[in-house]
Amino acid sequence: MILAQNLCFRTIPTTCIIVKHQKEPHQVNPVTQTKTKLCECFDLHKELIPYGKAWSWQKQIVKEKKTLVQRNEDCPDTLIVLQHDPVYTMGTGSSEKYLNFDIKEAPFDVYRTERGGEVTYHGPGQLVMYPIINLRNHKMDLHWYLRALEEVVIRVLSSTFSIKASRTEGFTGVWVGCDLGNQKLAAIGVRVSKWITYHGLALNVNTDLTPFSWIVPCGLRDRQVGSIKGLLQESQLSTRCGEADTSNSDDCELIDISYRSLIKEFSEVFQLEICQKAIPMSELLTENN
Amino acid sequence: MALRMWASSTANALKISCASKAHLSPAFSLSRCFSTVLDGLKYAESHEWVKHEGAVATIGITDHAQDHLGEVVFVELPEAGGSVTKGKGFGAVESVKATSDINSPISGEVVEVNSKLTETPGLINSSPYEDGWMIKVKPSSPSELESLMGPKEYTKFCEEEDAAH
Repeated sequence: MILAQNLCFRTIPTTCIIVKHQKEPHQVNPVTQTKTKLCECFDLHKELIPYGKAWSWQKQIVKEKKTLVQRNEDCPDTLIVLQHDPVYTMGTGSSEKYLNFDIKEAPFDVYRTERGGEVTYHGPGQLVMYPIINLRNHKMDLHWYLRALEEVVIRVLSSTFSIKASRTEGFTGVWVGCDLGNQKLAAIGVRVSKWITYHGLALNVNTDLTPFSWIVPCGLRDRQVGSIKGLLQESQLSTRCGEADTSNSDDCELIDISYRSLIKEFSEVFQLEICQKAIPMSELLTENN
Repeated sequence: MALRMWASSTANALKISCASKAHLSPAFSLSRCFSTVLDGLKYAESHEWVKHEGAVATIGITDHAQDHLGEVVFVELPEAGGSVTKGKGFGAVESVKATSDINSPISGEVVEVNSKLTETPGLINSSPYEDGWMIKVKPSSPSELESLMGPKEYTKFCEEEDAAH
């Protein structure tokens, strides 16, 4: 998918950026040959959803799916894409030592969740994907699932932004390295319950990265966090391709383009047909933590 | 353990290095090329084991499970005094940024929890049947143990699962 011509950062010549992504030798080929499975998608990519509400909603969906599985009924997949108000979240084994502040005086709300992984930040400009999928429909293999999520992001970065991103063995997530410095663009942390997944991934599009400096993101002290916008701007500056600043409308377009690309690549990697569904507002109005 | 077959390079590495395990201690009367199944235990399809000794049953996850999980970095366990229900989750294990439920093979009251796992979750990897035990339960329905698999059945179950993937 190509960026629209009128965006100033699309004038990057192809010689600036390598357009290939690496593929893990053992992974992420889809299990099914044809896209016969449906995945309902709740598109909130332009909305800022409070973390607590989204979390409750996910848990409700997981509960419903477990009931379907118990009854041996068909259990389709679900995908939620949204942005969050600024928030920090911690995983099951997360340590408070990775917070550079007293948790009682945190700059934003801090949620201790049941996903894997250490502390991370969610906020405006970051697209968060919550695939709530039944791994029985795919591959009952958590390692495969994590590599598949990484693959979605790697393909988005490559196909839409010509950014070469890759995995780093032993460090789940999507990284951009070498000339532009080693930066993490997407963080991943999931929970699996009776083979139903929830939580998911967070991709920095045009996120303000400052709040990441108030934590040790994912517990990794010597690594940086990056964003798509940051990388595109750096690339422009380094090649003197054009003006580096972008307007608000460009930011919105960048989010839209990233969202559409995420959906497309998710559909491809997981071999699912995405069906947009109306948002059940009742789910978002209640919060039962 | 809410998992079946988890492909991992760890499993492949262990496949090679554990081939020699077959000739080890007589307690390992049934061994597979890449994980161990012990006699005297009962097994659930979700890869937990139960050792019933008198009034108490000890529960943990199997060698097959820890092998496929990879390095366990965190274990979440219930408190003593709580209860567990057959087939329902009672805790979680985290590895590779993914946290999974552990399901109880039987129902009962939790009488003891392995506190060593908080500091050393890796015990689950190094000693899944001994030092890596998770909880001790007073079974409320001892007949539930009858519906669990024996070592031979569990070994076959794992082989069929592996073959299916």
